[in-house]
Amino acid sequence: MDTARLKENFAQVFMHGDEVALFFYSDLFLRHPELREMFPVAMSAQRDRLVRAIGKIVSGVGDLDQLTPYLRELGRDHRKFGTLPAHYQPLRASLLATLAYFSGQGWTPELAADWEEAYGRVSQIMIESAAADEKVNPAFWDATIISHELRALDTAVIRAVTLDRLNFLPGQSVAIESQLRPRIWRFYSIANAPREDATLDFHVRMIDGGALSMALTRGVTAGSRLRLGPAVGTLTLDTTSGRDVLLVAGSTGLAPVKTIALQIAGLADPPGVHLFVGARRAEGLYDLPDLEKLSALAPWLTVTPCVSDDPDYPGERGLLPDVVARSGSWAGHDAYLAGPTPMVEGMAAQLAAQGVPPQQIHVEDFGWSEP
Amino acid sequence: MTAFPAADGRLTPDAIRSYAFPSARFGRRGLDEGHVWEFCRLAEREVVRLLNERTSLADEVQRLRRRVLAGPAAGSGVRPDDGHAEAVAILSRAQQAADRYVADAQEYCRQLSDDARRLGDEILAEARSRAVLDEAHAEAGLAAGTGPGTPAAQDGSEPGELEAQLAYLRTFSDVYRTHLHAYLDRLLRNVEEWDRAEKETLTVVHADMSAPPDVPPLPPLPRIPQ
Repeated sequence: MDTARLKENFAQVFMHGDEVALFFYSDLFLRHPELREMFPVAMSAQRDRLVRAIGKIVSGVGDLDQLTPYLRELGRDHRKFGTLPAHYQPLRASLLATLAYFSGQGWTPELAADWEEAYGRVSQIMIESAAADEKVNPAFWDATIISHELRALDTAVIRAVTLDRLNFLPGQSVAIESQLRPRIWRFYSIANAPREDATLDFHVRMIDGGALSMALTRGVTAGSRLRLGPAVGTLTLDTTSGRDVLLVAGSTGLAPVKTIALQIAGLADPPGVHLFVGARRAEGLYDLPDLEKLSALAPWLTVTPCVSDDPDYPGERGLLPDVVARSGSWAGHDAYLAGPTPMVEGMAAQLAAQGVPPQQIHVEDFGWSEP
Repeated sequence: MTAFPAADGRLTPDAIRSYAFPSARFGRRGLDEGHVWEFCRLAEREVVRLLNERTSLADEVQRLRRRVLAGPAAGSGVRPDDGHAEAVAILSRAQQAADRYVADAQEYCRQLSDDARRLGDEILAEARSRAVLDEAHAEAGLAAGTGPGTPAAQDGSEPGELEAQLAYLRTFSDVYRTHLHAYLDRLLRNVEEWDRAEKETLTVVHADMSAPPDVPPLPPLPRIPQ
């Protein structure tokens, strides 16, 4: 396999932009109409994802060992979409047809052989990883919503129960698909520590125009069905550090942060924990009663709610990074941050400026997973 | 008689068929020789032009045929070669239309929720500032002994009514002043926060944190009863 030739061909073909992925999927669905229903109605995000994944694979194709963890994750991840080993053959055919079409005169038997070989190796790793995962996990977890509480105009707390037990670490997330929005998956953090009854809580804030978040806040009710992917994410508690803990949550970023607090509550010798939760207005502090109940029972836990957009709010006012920074010195703490990206980035910068070492600042990282 | 040559300078079959040669001058027989030669020169010129055009078109056909057979020219990429490619193109356009409809619907939905949220915030803010005024009027009314929320008598002719009106105004201004104090106090705190945040951003360069904190809306000026 000539990797330089392959990379050059990739660069030349993908110069045609979105047309390439459009051609690929149209070719695939014309040859195999039965595969269309595995994809969402709107495909532009899907096309971007495909191009990104191929780009990532091609750029690392010279060193497959380094690429293997990504490919294994990709293979496992595709199980929830219903991907089977038999699907890799039609995909190979459409990929080669697309490359040939856009390469034009530049398409040679040698190039075809390069791509065949690369595709063969990549798909083999993905198929093997999916097969290994199949021995321990279902492709996805069927879940039924048992309660749906609209806590604010745009925020719901959902409790669902899964048929098979879904194992996770506190702070991790799962991809969710709703019957109301087939083939659209989004990550949501689990908002409870593992329970005996296999129920899971999720906090969902409606994103304006967001296909799934709108269905989950306003569409689903008790009895609605969900599909859940496996637990992913690295926002998990370091139980060995012995340091006190700073938890900062903006909006529904509270879900993973609360789960970590609940995990700490189960420890024999819990460290001191200061939990800050922020919202634009008091109504956005949708889980405050529960947090106050928790802190009333836990002398090691301090909860500070704060509000940024209401000058009449009697408690702490301001943006989370400012409120947290003026409330203490955190250099000796492990910090766990979750919420809207600008808030998390602002908070991390603020803590770094205070001298908190980077390895003590934990933020969500889904790694290579893409819903 | 048809105009000759035609308006665009070209000789047409119709012009040839319907051309009427004028007769020779009196005393001579047949057609006017000069006109006939003139016509023949035009016809010749037209035929040469047509031949040239045909040659260049034949060249163009050859060139295009070679291009189709050879595949796409460098950089042009796409080759509409068979029915399958055409079907792929049609399906691709249909998918793009679907993508656009979904994106439009989501955008519309986003705007709608955005508007609703802003409107909600405005209604809340208005209700709050109205509550401040209502409270001031109610307390002033009680102080003036005219019952809550009722301004004092308008004419002020009786000394008792004048006193009541004075009491009303005094209490109203007290209550409103208290609210104004609280408001200015909040404003001052916001300015201090802003100051502090700005100083921090000078040391920690981070774009997200340079925005000033929101300043609360000033309650509307009260309508003072006459």
